[in-house]
Amino acid sequence: MANLIRRDLIIQKYQLYLFIPFILFFIFAGSHMSAFFIFVFAGFFIPINAYSYDEKVETNILLNSLPYTRTQIIASRYIGAIFYMAVSIVITTALFYVFNRPFTWADIAIGAGITLTLFSFSFPLFYLLKPGNIGTAVTIGFILFVVLSGPTVMFFEEYLTPVVDFLMNVSSFAIYLSGAGIITALYAISWIISQIIYQRKTF
Amino acid sequence: MNNIVEFKGVTKHLKDFSIKDINLQIKQGYVTGFIGANGAGKSTTMKLMMNLLKADEGDINVFGMDYASNEKEIKERMGFVYDSNVFYESLNLKDIRRIVAPAYKNWDDKQFYDYIKKFELPLNKGIKTFSKGMQMKASLAIALSHEAEFIMMDEPTAGLDPVFRRELLDILQEIMKDGRRTLFFSTHITSDLERIADYITFIQKGKILFTDSMEDVQDRYALVKGNMDVINRDIEKMFIKIERSSYGFTALTNDVAGIKAVLGNRVSMEPATLEDIMFYAKGAERQYV
Repeated sequence: MANLIRRDLIIQKYQLYLFIPFILFFIFAGSHMSAFFIFVFAGFFIPINAYSYDEKVETNILLNSLPYTRTQIIASRYIGAIFYMAVSIVITTALFYVFNRPFTWADIAIGAGITLTLFSFSFPLFYLLKPGNIGTAVTIGFILFVVLSGPTVMFFEEYLTPVVDFLMNVSSFAIYLSGAGIITALYAISWIISQIIYQRKTF
Repeated sequence: MNNIVEFKGVTKHLKDFSIKDINLQIKQGYVTGFIGANGAGKSTTMKLMMNLLKADEGDINVFGMDYASNEKEIKERMGFVYDSNVFYESLNLKDIRRIVAPAYKNWDDKQFYDYIKKFELPLNKGIKTFSKGMQMKASLAIALSHEAEFIMMDEPTAGLDPVFRRELLDILQEIMKDGRRTLFFSTHITSDLERIADYITFIQKGKILFTDSMEDVQDRYALVKGNMDVINRDIEKMFIKIERSSYGFTALTNDVAGIKAVLGNRVSMEPATLEDIMFYAKGAERQYV
């Protein structure tokens, strides 16, 4: 299993050199952005990039011809994503610190939460989609996410004041706790769905 | 004699193709050639053997085990060479080794580097710069470096130049020498098999027509030539397919002894090559065997 997770680093060793410049670019050029947004980008980078290699039929033939089970292949994807997200966030935090960019623990928590939610939705979708369409799906998904996230937040602020008020009144600890609970459940459901899809896949 | 792979009544329906009720045995310690026209079901059968596809019906056993409970153990002992490159194209062999080697318990680094040297493969060049023959050698080096007892090769000679094909056949002959390995090898270049195969399995339109030893095939099948006047309904039944021309007929039979007994000297007979068998079987009106 650890081998499968380590594989993600080997296949994208050249892209990894881009990782730090990529984050630095956001730190400097994205000074108007919320810090959590940069954490989302950072957390998303390695797992999704690894994924773009795995969409190929050939890669699936290789992995399934090696002594791994399909269950292990999916598990490595889900565990690996958390692992690489955590490492990326640690690196990004260090860069924030070095370059004196302010951030809070809440930024990290929200960033990680959004990243995991994105993984939960994108992974099963990727296993469902035909190879070749994944890149397009990611691009469209990301644009939609960026375009819609602003209006959605505004919509909530404007029309759902009672809900917002309620959220404001509940302790932030409770919000984080329930948020963590929901995301964990989402991730677990996503894992199960991917597992079911992948078991039935033919190569 | 043990069977290393056994298919019992295997059926698989794909979108526009299906294989039906396949029974197949691969004998341990021998080279079995798997022949059939393009689209006959060779790759589907091999994918079923690797568990890349799951059978709709029937049982598949490899090393006497089934995939449902022993997938990893089976694949530990199996080597694979596919007709197209399955390794990450942008990586070099060193990196591919770093991905593949830890997957196997029996991986032998020394063996791997020995084969790389023997096959004259570069370690630091991306797989995408490899010729078809080099890619094939790379797959084979990997298969041979984890002590695979059973090596499955899908069209390994397709797209190779004649010199390299011969070289490959020599390599295969050499790895079979110690008798520990079993090789299953699909191809539509039948002359390759005439050199190295011990057994032949013939698939057509998703059905296995026969699995026989090379000698049996050569004993049973023949091309028969003669004048049209010897042919009647009963004789016709002894042929798989008859080609008529103004000079007479040429036909394929799988009953050499029967033809000899009935027609004797009235016809001439010559040994049928695998290619003849493939060609005539393809046009056959009836299913035989």
